Amino acid sequence: MQTQREVPAQAEAGPVGQFFTGLAEAGYLATFDGESATLRFDLVDAEAVERWYVVVHDGSVTVARQQRPAEAIVRIDRAHFAAIIAGRLNAQAALLRGLLTCEGSMAAVMTFQRCLPGPPGSTGRVAPISGETAMAGRRTR
Amino acid sequence: MSDQLVQILEGNTFVVSDEQGDIEASGTDPTGLFSFDTRFLSRWVLTINGQRLSALSTDDLQYFQARFFLVPGSADVYVNATLTIIRLREVADGFHEELRVFNHSSEPADLRIRIDAASDFADLFEVKDALAKKGRYRNRVADKSLILGYERETFVRETWISASAKASADENGLSFSVTVPAHGEWSTELDVVASLGNLDTPSAQHAGRRGHRKARRDMARGLEKWLNHAPRLECDWEPLAQIYRRCLTDLAALRFSPLTMPGHSMPAAGLPWFMTIFGRDSIFTSLQALPFTSELAATTLRALGERQGTRIDDFRDEDPGRILHEQRYGELTAFEERPHSPYYGSADATQLYLMLLDEYERWTGDTKLVRDLEQTARAALNWIDEFADLRGDGYVWYQRRNATTGLENQCWKDSWDSISYRNGDLPGFPRATCELQGYAYDAKVRSARLARVVWRDAAFADRLEKEAADLKRRFNRDYWIADGEYFAVALDCDGRPVDSLTSNIGHLLWSGIVDKSKARAIARHLTGPKLFSGWGVRTLAEGEARYNPIGYHTGTVWPFDNSFIAWGLRRYGFKAEAARVAAGILEAAELFRGRLPEAFGGYPRQLTRYPVQYPTACSPQAWSTGAPLLLLRTALGLEPHDDHLLIDPALPARIGHLELLDVPGRWKRIDAFGRGLIDTDRLRADPGSAN
Repeated sequence: MQTQREVPAQAEAGPVGQFFTGLAEAGYLATFDGESATLRFDLVDAEAVERWYVVVHDGSVTVARQQRPAEAIVRIDRAHFAAIIAGRLNAQAALLRGLLTCEGSMAAVMTFQRCLPGPPGSTGRVAPISGETAMAGRRTR
Repeated sequence: MSDQLVQILEGNTFVVSDEQGDIEASGTDPTGLFSFDTRFLSRWVLTINGQRLSALSTDDLQYFQARFFLVPGSADVYVNATLTIIRLREVADGFHEELRVFNHSSEPADLRIRIDAASDFADLFEVKDALAKKGRYRNRVADKSLILGYERETFVRETWISASAKASADENGLSFSVTVPAHGEWSTELDVVASLGNLDTPSAQHAGRRGHRKARRDMARGLEKWLNHAPRLECDWEPLAQIYRRCLTDLAALRFSPLTMPGHSMPAAGLPWFMTIFGRDSIFTSLQALPFTSELAATTLRALGERQGTRIDDFRDEDPGRILHEQRYGELTAFEERPHSPYYGSADATQLYLMLLDEYERWTGDTKLVRDLEQTARAALNWIDEFADLRGDGYVWYQRRNATTGLENQCWKDSWDSISYRNGDLPGFPRATCELQGYAYDAKVRSARLARVVWRDAAFADRLEKEAADLKRRFNRDYWIADGEYFAVALDCDGRPVDSLTSNIGHLLWSGIVDKSKARAIARHLTGPKLFSGWGVRTLAEGEARYNPIGYHTGTVWPFDNSFIAWGLRRYGFKAEAARVAAGILEAAELFRGRLPEAFGGYPRQLTRYPVQYPTACSPQAWSTGAPLLLLRTALGLEPHDDHLLIDPALPARIGHLELLDVPGRWKRIDAFGRGLIDTDRLRADPGSAN
């Protein structure tokens, strides 16, 4: 991928940039409590690879663009990454589907994805179903 | 599954073939090579000069290895069989097959040896439900190997097939044109590697190129080490030694390394459908196995903790703090056509997780793991109060939010008709089954201990104990069916008791939620004629409208269920009753040649003489495999107490003496001895008379 250039700082605008700067501002990832890891994200589109580092030390997070060693490298199309951080695409499904590749520590990636949001439409609520309805649904079987 | 099928497995890779070693998958047969929930071979047929072979004998040498002795021709025409063929097959990241052809005649034999290979790359869910594929097949020949491929967008799965001998490969298989000298031999090694595309580890790719020889040695050595590390059993009832060895070997076979924890193993749930992480099954099995090995529990706790829910996701029934139900890796999960990435629809795994964490520490003294998992445990406790209490009345309820592919019943009895009133009517949703409350009670009591001893948070411990006591008080009032003297199986969506008599009441004893004054009545039911078949406790009592001795959760006997019931009976001091349940299940295990199925028929023992296997039961299944282990614990009355192991035997009738030597734990190693005292035949004549 040597032909692709690093993306300049203005890429930080938009949802992807906001996501990473948001991580840095929050400063803490609860799912990494007691754990440390550096994750590298290579976000690919037609022209470039946008590279971000998330450095977690016992849950505390900093975000960087400068090259450094990483325990885990995640590579994914920028558009798919945008879908993941918006909750529209599940990161584990994306991994199984081949949309996302992961090199190095799978455990670090697993821990990271747990801080991502759920689907936008999910409410956690559901209307009760009466006994009559439960029975009616089964009489036809 | 049919008895003629041969199954070998390792982790979540398994091969199911016919007696000849051939695979010809059709329809919804679970035959083939499977790995990570995908079928990588649906056809693997050996012919010699165009002729199929027939089996003289077939041996399962090890759980990961089988050997087939074959001759050309169909079984009824053994004319002039001057050739013998031996296939030795071993599972690893696919499988390795050594093929040897012996020519017994005094003339050289010109042979065309052919392996037909194909794969439908079916997701296990597709095999189960006979669904059609959406992607494209792409087979290719590269060098001397054949690569079977399947693609759907970026989803790629491949089967790499190669041979050590000179082969000519085409898109449908490999052929060998050979001359085997008079009284001579020809052989080749065949490698079949399942490739997961982007998910492949470098070691899997390496194995593909280099063959499986190293992996194989590691497995044989690993099994030996596993068996040598387990406590030694001495007993005067001979079948128990066979049962014990079978359990340890099957448990070794069902070990599985999560992708995030290579080199560490936890129990997968069962062959063939459930070779994956199930929260509930992995936890129950780890609990059963704790007196024998604590590694399964440690890995289970870490792996499930790593995957604990963090967000609201209605498709996956995920909530913050919830422990997962089931993880899958196949195509339907990848494309979010199924919610198993992972799916969280279990209303008991979270409490069971906390129970395992405490029980693990009591056996091992591993406070480091308990400290590492403090936040996980706190989030799990929070789930009980904040997310499981759907009606806001202090009970654990469940109702799926994914109405199409989610689970209706999120308790261990997860089939649609498992929870019913006495008259057979089904309650609405949400439902609050009784054992969920018992587990919540015990989870809080046990977590309070950990909070006090390990997390050093006395205020939190006090709060948990107060909540547990309050739950116990309300539960004994709200779930009690006074005229029957047992606990309702559930509360319905209006908070009224669902009044059928079920085995769930045994789990209540195990949890400790039952008031002492009510325990004797519960023990009497569990060993009485409506629930107890003579082999074990039925899931649903005879006399209930939906009772059916071969109903999956409505009358069959589940060995795993019974092992926890026995533990519950011991917890409340009903030694004789516990021994009686243990006797029934172990005697059934003897008749199943050491390997208990998932479930067997609830017919009265006097009627069938033999336990009748449930038609589609999964076998080996992890928590059935663990059942005899837990029954050994309850028979010897093993209970960790600080740095000691208490031993208080109450042996099943046919066992005169029982020794379990080198039981591992925080005390290093201790020998446990028991002498038979309990006469279960006397109990059989007069149920409920003990104590």
